[in-house]
Amino acid sequence: MDPLLLGLLAALALIMFLLSGMPVAFALGFTAILFLIIDDGIGAFDVVADTLFGSLDEFALLSIPMFLLMGSAIAASRAGSDLYEALDRWLYRIPGGLLISNIGACGVFAALTGSSPATCAAIGKMGIPEMRKRGYPASLATGAIAAGGTLGILIPPSITMIVYGIATETSIGRLFMAGVLPGAMLMLLFMAWSWFYAYKNGYHFVEKDKHYSLRDKLIVLPKILPFLLLIALVLWALYGGVATPSEASGVGAMVSIILVMIIYRVWQPTVLWEIVRSATRESVMLMMIIGMAGLFSYMMSSLYITQGIAEWIAAMDVNRWQLLIYINIFLLLAGLFLPPVAVILMTSPTLVPIIIQAGFDPIWFGVMLTLNMEIGLITPPVGLNLYVINGIVKDVELKTVLWGALPFMLCLVFGIFLLAMFPAIATWLPDYLMGPVF
Amino acid sequence: MNTFIRLTSGLSRILGIIAALLLIIGVLVVCQMVFLRYGLNKSTSWQTEFVTYVLIASTFLGAPYVLLTRGHVNVELVPLMLGPKSRFILALFAYSTSALLCFVLTYYSFLFWHEAWVEGWTSDTVWGPKLWTIYLSMPVGFFVISLQYLADLLCLITGRELPFHIADVNEEAA
Repeated sequence: MDPLLLGLLAALALIMFLLSGMPVAFALGFTAILFLIIDDGIGAFDVVADTLFGSLDEFALLSIPMFLLMGSAIAASRAGSDLYEALDRWLYRIPGGLLISNIGACGVFAALTGSSPATCAAIGKMGIPEMRKRGYPASLATGAIAAGGTLGILIPPSITMIVYGIATETSIGRLFMAGVLPGAMLMLLFMAWSWFYAYKNGYHFVEKDKHYSLRDKLIVLPKILPFLLLIALVLWALYGGVATPSEASGVGAMVSIILVMIIYRVWQPTVLWEIVRSATRESVMLMMIIGMAGLFSYMMSSLYITQGIAEWIAAMDVNRWQLLIYINIFLLLAGLFLPPVAVILMTSPTLVPIIIQAGFDPIWFGVMLTLNMEIGLITPPVGLNLYVINGIVKDVELKTVLWGALPFMLCLVFGIFLLAMFPAIATWLPDYLMGPVF
Repeated sequence: MNTFIRLTSGLSRILGIIAALLLIIGVLVVCQMVFLRYGLNKSTSWQTEFVTYVLIASTFLGAPYVLLTRGHVNVELVPLMLGPKSRFILALFAYSTSALLCFVLTYYSFLFWHEAWVEGWTSDTVWGPKLWTIYLSMPVGFFVISLQYLADLLCLITGRELPFHIADVNEEAA
């Protein structure tokens, strides 16, 4: 059968199984095995277990549960609210300052946990009630946190970047570095929009009766500085080429648990167990998707579908920018339905060779892909962050959160344009710090 | 039947605890490795391979527990749009398809494990551990997920649990 037709059928089958409500991992695995049998008969079963094991047999994958553990330790403590408090004390004089400090807190917490839902939950629990109390509309308050949370997968350390790095054999350290400036850029875009909106609608809210002295401002720092220092150290170890991501994240996980125990006196066995439990659940879920996606891409390439698609796109003879627009639309659509990790694993083995062929930088493309996935996190029908927010503030309708997140989604789209026009936003920092690739 | 459901969820929980413990072991070994390598400037031999295998075992053994606690992400778009009856039918389809996959994987990963055991495969590194010990996590994990899916199917058919665990809007309000 023609590889392209086969590919189309596989895609349709996968969509059908996904929409049936099967776990994403099993939908991938089932489709993969089904098409292997169609092509090769029962004999195809012989390679299944070996392939599944092989796609997880990779030392770098260890950084995923380690970073998850680091994040869940920090998320279980009051670090989120302390961070929030600190930023509020420093920024309360700016118009819309509370919004801005919330988005900033999201950005920093994203760096600490590497997880979008955890960021939304930790900052949102504190930030949204406070913002509403001070008169910000519910839509703006919830939308800002939902959007701020998406930074979790862009600002390093980021799980999706690790997965992209492994799937495409690009340097994880370089990818992490490439996420820093785009992350800062998006944070500024989000803040600019919030400031503009607050200014235009008269939400100045410079609290005249409130005053924080320098002492008040400094006194909140000791609690959060160790965590910021930890992140800085982990990243330094990575970029300095001192340690591999797995080593840095393993030590990071250990140190963050110890820090949480010392600073926040989290030593009750039930709480500690909960930290490990939630990291394990998250890790198993992601690793299962990674394993099954490995099976899926094995099927795609042994049926020549991957190669067929690549040849087909090459034969289309569109210019590289048109190609990029098509790829972005495709990624955006995929991201609306599927978790970022699944999208990356399913598409990058096919897309990245095409992207390189067209003369684009794979590191830069990883950032681009992540921005697309961020949009998916705050856009229905799946929009994980919207639901997390909806779960925290039960009296605000999902519709309101959605409308509040919409302008931030447009900021993300704008961010993608900027990144396409000025690739250096992503590539300058890694090239500067680690030297050019070639 | 109740006993079967209880036993299965008990088994999933035990494996879940083992998976979490494996993860802790992984953290400790990584720290030990980093200490040896960067603290004492010694070379490390078995650690890299060991933690990779520990993580794989944790994944397969933890999977039934994650199913039990609804941690495997899925796309709930269509189930949410459907009425109770069609949602039930869709849940039957989704659960049994997943169960079928897990049974098939149990069988073939068992064969894979068995071959490694009979032939005495070892990994081709200096440490060279017996591979069957690591492969064992696959058939065990998939077998228990299969059981867990059977238990879920039973709960679904007997009406003990709602399809996809989605409560109707009216019920939720009540």
